[in-house]
Amino acid sequence: MAAEGEQDVLVPVGESETLRRSVTYAVERAHESATETGTLVTVHFVLPARWRTVQADPADVEAATSLLDRVLAWAREDIDELTAEDAPQTVVFESATVGTNEYVFSPGDFADVIAGYAATNGVRRIVVDPSFRPGGSAPILRSFETELADRGFDVLEAPVTRRTRRSLPFTDIGLPEFFVVFSASFLFYLALGGWHVTDPYELLTGVATAGVVTVTLASVALKGDVPNLRVVGYTVGRLAAYTPILLWEIAKANVSLAYVVLHPRLPIDPRMVEFDAAVWGDLPVTTLANSITLTPGTVTVDVSRRHFLVHALIPDAETDLLGGKLERLVRFVFYGRESARIASPRERLDDQQEGDS
Amino acid sequence: MTPIEILATVFVVVGTFFGFVATVGIVRLPGLYARLHAASKSDTLGSVLSLAGIALVLGVTTESLKLVFLLVFLFVTSPTAAHAIARAAKEEGIEPIGEDARLGDEEGEP
Repeated sequence: MAAEGEQDVLVPVGESETLRRSVTYAVERAHESATETGTLVTVHFVLPARWRTVQADPADVEAATSLLDRVLAWAREDIDELTAEDAPQTVVFESATVGTNEYVFSPGDFADVIAGYAATNGVRRIVVDPSFRPGGSAPILRSFETELADRGFDVLEAPVTRRTRRSLPFTDIGLPEFFVVFSASFLFYLALGGWHVTDPYELLTGVATAGVVTVTLASVALKGDVPNLRVVGYTVGRLAAYTPILLWEIAKANVSLAYVVLHPRLPIDPRMVEFDAAVWGDLPVTTLANSITLTPGTVTVDVSRRHFLVHALIPDAETDLLGGKLERLVRFVFYGRESARIASPRERLDDQQEGDS
Repeated sequence: MTPIEILATVFVVVGTFFGFVATVGIVRLPGLYARLHAASKSDTLGSVLSLAGIALVLGVTTESLKLVFLLVFLFVTSPTAAHAIARAAKEEGIEPIGEDARLGDEEGEP
């Protein structure tokens, strides 16, 4: 007889058109193995969060909660159909939200978050919904299923029939996406060329250029969810406030670097600095990494999610970096004023060391 | 010379100075990472200032609009390229120069 928990099933949950069918499949499998082995099987419905604690949009949280509730209701419906009225209980359900504290971006990151939950709860089997693509399906990244299988799980893909999305030959983009990206690049090309809309040469080269751009880049250009216009507006406004500060920092960086480089004794103090930045999401992390590279004596060497490895050239650079001024500014740009109050990397590091010792 | 032309000249001269600093830095600084500092920072500012100078002389035209685009792209791509080089170097296992003594100290800390 299998050990308790051996037969448990995990289902990553996200808004998708075939979710209903995948839930049924997972419940059926769980019920099957429960009757075979005579143990109680738990089905975990796990939702990888798309929001972060610092920028939680109440609407997102609400949507996630209601989705999980819906999934649980479906699962109960399914199990009621499978079992007789007074039969002993074979399957129990759990639901959870994971990843609210992490920067999850690629399918691999989502797989890590799911794997973490699975490890805590001793789950070995995962049923994936084929239409649920956390982290997108960029061709350069390995798929969510592969990433999960690599982490040593039994991955079952729910056999669902889905409507085939019509896409253009050689690409994975649909006609509307093609049209949006094509017209944007075409208009941009004409604008750069001086808006000679009657010149056939301009029009022809424009069509060629926009065509190449669209076919190669459309699947990247329209990645992710449709942004909330109000949030984008605020972000752009704060970005405009950030630019002069950044320019000033860049000017300072260059003057101090010029001083060091032209000084006869070359007073440098190169070292590597590591810290975890309190920023979440690909755009904020990229902005912070690039800002670090452009400002006094520091070059970003490696970033994995929130963990930064920075090469500092001049003695003051490390102090500035851990003082967290840039990080605070980037957080201000993307998450608003409240988030700027989070402790600096130096303070967080101190807290961590106190906790360790 | 009009005030605009004087300002443009200042931009180009300062830009050239930083280009010079970048060159000297690449030659003088020790090790890949340190040289990257010169290549990513001074070089960006050098070319950006020169481009801004040219844009000032041209005034509001399509050409200066293109220069502004070029400037913005340089600001975004240049640190990204530096980052890519640094990351590649790290993955190849290239150690930064001048850190050995200090690393020993830090490992002793809790």
